[in-house]
Parts: sequence; C-alpha cells; structure tokens
Amino acid sequence: MREKIMIYLQPTPVRIWHWLNAIGIITLCLTGAQIRFPETVTLFGSYKSAILLHNAAGLVVAVSFSIWYFFYKLVRGNLEKLYVPTGDDLRHGLVRQLLFYCFWYFRGDPSPHHPTPNNKFNPMQKSAYLAVMFVLMPMVSLTGILLLNVSVLRELILMSGGLKIIIAMHFLLACSLCAFLFTHVYLATLGKTALAYIKPMLTGWEEEEEHGQPQPAKEVFPGYKPVRHYAEYNGLEQQSDHRGN
Amino acid sequence: MKTTMKYQIIRLLLTLTLISGVCVANTAAQGGYSYGNTAGKNEACLNCHGDAQKVKGSSFIDQTQFAHTTHAKIGCPACHDGISKGHPDGKSSPRANCQECHGDINNEYAKSNHAGKAPCAGCHNPHKVETPREISGEEINRMCSGCHDSYRILASHAEWLPQADLHLDMLPCITCHTESRNYSIIMYVVKRNSPSRGGKMETATYNDLKTAVKDDNILTLIDGNGDNYISLAELRIFNSDPNHKSLRLHGMMTPESVTHNFRVLDNRRNCTFCHVSGPAAMQTSFVALPEKNGTFRQVAVEKGAVLDALYGTPDFYMMGATRNASLNMIGMFIIAGGLVLPVGHGSLRFLTRKNRNGKEHQS
Repeated sequence: MREKIMIYLQPTPVRIWHWLNAIGIITLCLTGAQIRFPETVTLFGSYKSAILLHNAAGLVVAVSFSIWYFFYKLVRGNLEKLYVPTGDDLRHGLVRQLLFYCFWYFRGDPSPHHPTPNNKFNPMQKSAYLAVMFVLMPMVSLTGILLLNVSVLRELILMSGGLKIIIAMHFLLACSLCAFLFTHVYLATLGKTALAYIKPMLTGWEEEEEHGQPQPAKEVFPGYKPVRHYAEYNGLEQQSDHRGN
Repeated sequence: MKTTMKYQIIRLLLTLTLISGVCVANTAAQGGYSYGNTAGKNEACLNCHGDAQKVKGSSFIDQTQFAHTTHAKIGCPACHDGISKGHPDGKSSPRANCQECHGDINNEYAKSNHAGKAPCAGCHNPHKVETPREISGEEINRMCSGCHDSYRILASHAEWLPQADLHLDMLPCITCHTESRNYSIIMYVVKRNSPSRGGKMETATYNDLKTAVKDDNILTLIDGNGDNYISLAELRIFNSDPNHKSLRLHGMMTPESVTHNFRVLDNRRNCTFCHVSGPAAMQTSFVALPEKNGTFRQVAVEKGAVLDALYGTPDFYMMGATRNASLNMIGMFIIAGGLVLPVGHGSLRFLTRKNRNGKEHQS
C-alpha cells in the first residue's frame, strides 16, 4: 500500500477568492451574452438588469483580481515562483506535461507534476495562468472599466483608437476567457478521480501519492530525454514495480 | 406727325422717370422702409435689420441664415403685415400667427406636453428656420436646453438610465420624446475646441473643415472621389487617417421623420427599444457636413457603416444593435476552441477508462 500524504495546497483566502471569481466570471459570460445578443439570450429578464448585473460582477472580479495580485505579490511574496515558468519548465516541463495529457494519461499513469504549496501548478498550468492572469484578466478588466465610464474616460478611449477597438478587444478577450473556463473545468477533473483536484479548492487539502526520488529518465522519443524525472516514467516495468510496492 | 409722336413718347418716359425718382427719394427719406413695395421688399427691411450696427438684439436678422429660409421667399410683409407708416417709431411691429400657415403642426403640438408652455418662437427663430436634415443634433438639443437645464435633465435621466451622460450626448432629445418609425445614424465632424488633449470635442464649422482640406470643396475630406456618396472604404480611410487625428465623426441616432408631438414615451425606457432593434435598423447613415450658411448637408453613406468592425464608425457603438458579424464569428471560434480539449480529450478518456480503473484497483 502506498503511503498517503495530505498537503495543505489552497489556503482559505485563495479558496474564497477562487469561488468568488468563478461565480463572477460565469455571471459575466452569461450577462455578456445577453448584452451582445439581446434578441436570443434573455436569461436575466430585462436588458437593463443584465447590464447592471454585468457591471456589478465586473467590478467584483476586477477588485478580486487586484486582491489576488496583492495577496501573492505582497502578502505571500511567491507570485513569480507560482506563476512564472522556470527555464526547466520551458525546456522539459511543458513537453512532459503535454505528453502526459496526450498519451500517458490514457495509459493510466499519474501526472508528472507533484504539487507543493510553493509549486502548485504544473508547467502547462503556469503558462496558461500566466497568460490568463497577466494578460487576459487585466486587459478585459481595463477595457471593461473604460466601457463603464465612456464619457469620463473618453480621452483614453480616443488614444486607444476609439470605442469600437475597445469593444472588439473586450469581446474577444472575454471569449478567450470563456474558452479557458471550459478547458480549466475539464482539466480539473483529470485527477486520480474526477473530484481529486476539485476537493482541494473546497477543503484546502490535497491527497498526494508518494513518489520515488527524481532520477534521469529514458528517452521519451529520439532526441528528447526528460531530466530529473520520476521513477514511474523510466519504463513500464519499473512503473509496475513501483506501483506494486 | 412723326415728330409729335416722338415728343409725346419722350415726355411720357420723362414723367415715369420723375415719378419713380420721387418714390425712391421718398423711401430713402423714410430710412429704407419699403412696405408695400413687393419688388424689393426684403432688401429694404434688411437694409436696417440685417445690419448689426443699426439694430440691436432680436431685431437683428442674419442675412445669410434668413436668405436660406422659406420665410425669406414669402417676404417680410407676409408675416409683419400692417407696420406703421412711421416705422421705426418705437411701436411694436405686428407678428404673424404661425398657425395661419402651419395649422397641422399647431394641432399636433396642441396635443403634446409642451402645449401652452412654449410658443413656436420659444424654440424656433422664424428668421433662421432649417429643415430637420439641415440642423445638427447638437443644435436641436440647444433649443431644448433653452428651457430645460442640462444638469437637471442629466440628473433626472440618470435616475433610471445607465450611462445617462453618454446617451444624452449621442441622442437628440426628439429621438425619444417624439415618435418616428425609423431612425438613422447621422455623423457630424467634431474637432477639439482647444489644441490641448483634454479640449472638448465640438461640431466643426465650415471654416474649420475648409482649413483642414485646404480647399473649398470640404466634401473631399471624407468623400475621396467627390461623387456625393461615401463608401465604407472612404469612411475607413478618413477614420484611420493620422492626418485628421483631431477630426472625428460623432454619430447621433436621429428620427427620420420629425413631429411636434413632444411626450414622455414609456417604451423608450425599455432599453431593447433601441438595443435590440438590431442590424436591420442600423443600416442607414449619413455624414452631415457644415455649409457656408451655417446649415448642414447630409451625404449618404454606404449601408452598414455603423456595423463595421473597427473603422466604419470608431466612436459610435450601440450595444447589441451594432455588433459586428465577423467579430461574432471569431468569438464563436475562440469559444469552440475551448471546447476542443473537453470534447476530444474527454472522448479518448472515456474510451481508455479501463486503463485507469485497473490501476486504481491495484493501489
């Protein structure tokens, strides 16, 4: 029987922030759909209520985004460590994680990334969150703030090329976030069980399997040899040995 | 015989000349007033009333503006009938009752909320009347703000209307407060009233545009080929031209037919009245260019300008109604891209579920 370790991965403020964001972003996507396609989407009753709800949810998400930034940057001080991929992540981690999702996962192998509170995202997550949290979210919030105050901030709107440029950016960025949402929710079900990655976001604790020490791996394909890898990826035989322990 | 005839004709001509000479001298002696002289009626009146040096205040009539009106064609005496012979003698001059000619409008107006609150001249200057197509939205609203205080109007609209300031800036009051079946988007060239970045954008005058074009034909500023029709391509060129950065097009949604039945229409409080009217209603637009005489000339714009993604009307967008179809498609593709992983990976995951179940049993 493998030894099970519970790690405290998601602190309470992060969990509150995550679910506030989740409700906010889903509300924004749905109200946004009604605002753009009012004759087909009538989920929130009147157009005005959709707009007021969109504005309110937008402000909540924008404020929550700022809190996220200050929490990780100033309170925890590990923003870069968590979100910026390292050289090793870019050289090997990305391909390793991609291989896991495309092949190893179907074979039934566990994820090559083993989260710790200071390194809780795998290299693909890091890259995706880097784009989402440092490009998409700030841009969609800024364009949203401009659209919420067109008269007051007209000068900034003119500087960026006009209202339509801002509208187009806001719409396409929102579509990208919506696309990310589908991918994000699906990837969250790829743990050992469908809820394995979702539970830590509710309770804070993740159940972790113990792995052998990292060791050099065999070539995954000619020319590419993931270094500092875990035992179960060094070969199927070793893997079954390890699992048999 | 012939000599007598010739003599009589010359005598007649001399008499006529003498009579007309006395008449002219008479009119001149009365200070240019020529009431009853239908030949030169307006000129004689305007001799004084068109001269800011001679008359003051509301008695002054801008000759260029007046010449453009239908009222100028029927002549001063048609409305100011029965002016005293001693004019100008301090007696107030008679004024026509507008409803004598404009009976229909008067009946319509009598049913409106304005009835009894403002006479025709409360809004219209009869010496400067312009058709709705010849006047800018900003000027229409200036008529209203003569009585309705702008700040109070903004405050009362803001009680129920999101972004009230923006709405009031993009709509002539009559768009919501009178009924019309159709609407079109009229675009006015606006420019900064000061060279600094924060300067307010104001409707550009004929002279402003003349300076910008360096030519008398200001039409070519936007209508590149001068065919009196602005294509989408010409509109995009103007809007993205860095040489005209200080000039922008300010769009206003304006009723196609104008009535005098001023009311508070409850259906206008429902945002979907405009925001759902959709692409079909947003096809018609015009660029209104200022003329020398202070009026505006509307030049037709290719259909669909306000629905263009970016450079058709960069500053005019109505949520819901003027969305761009190509951007919708790109957005849908992006969202569909987000579904590739759940659907594709999910299917393979379902097919290979035994691999994982087996390993989970081992543990």
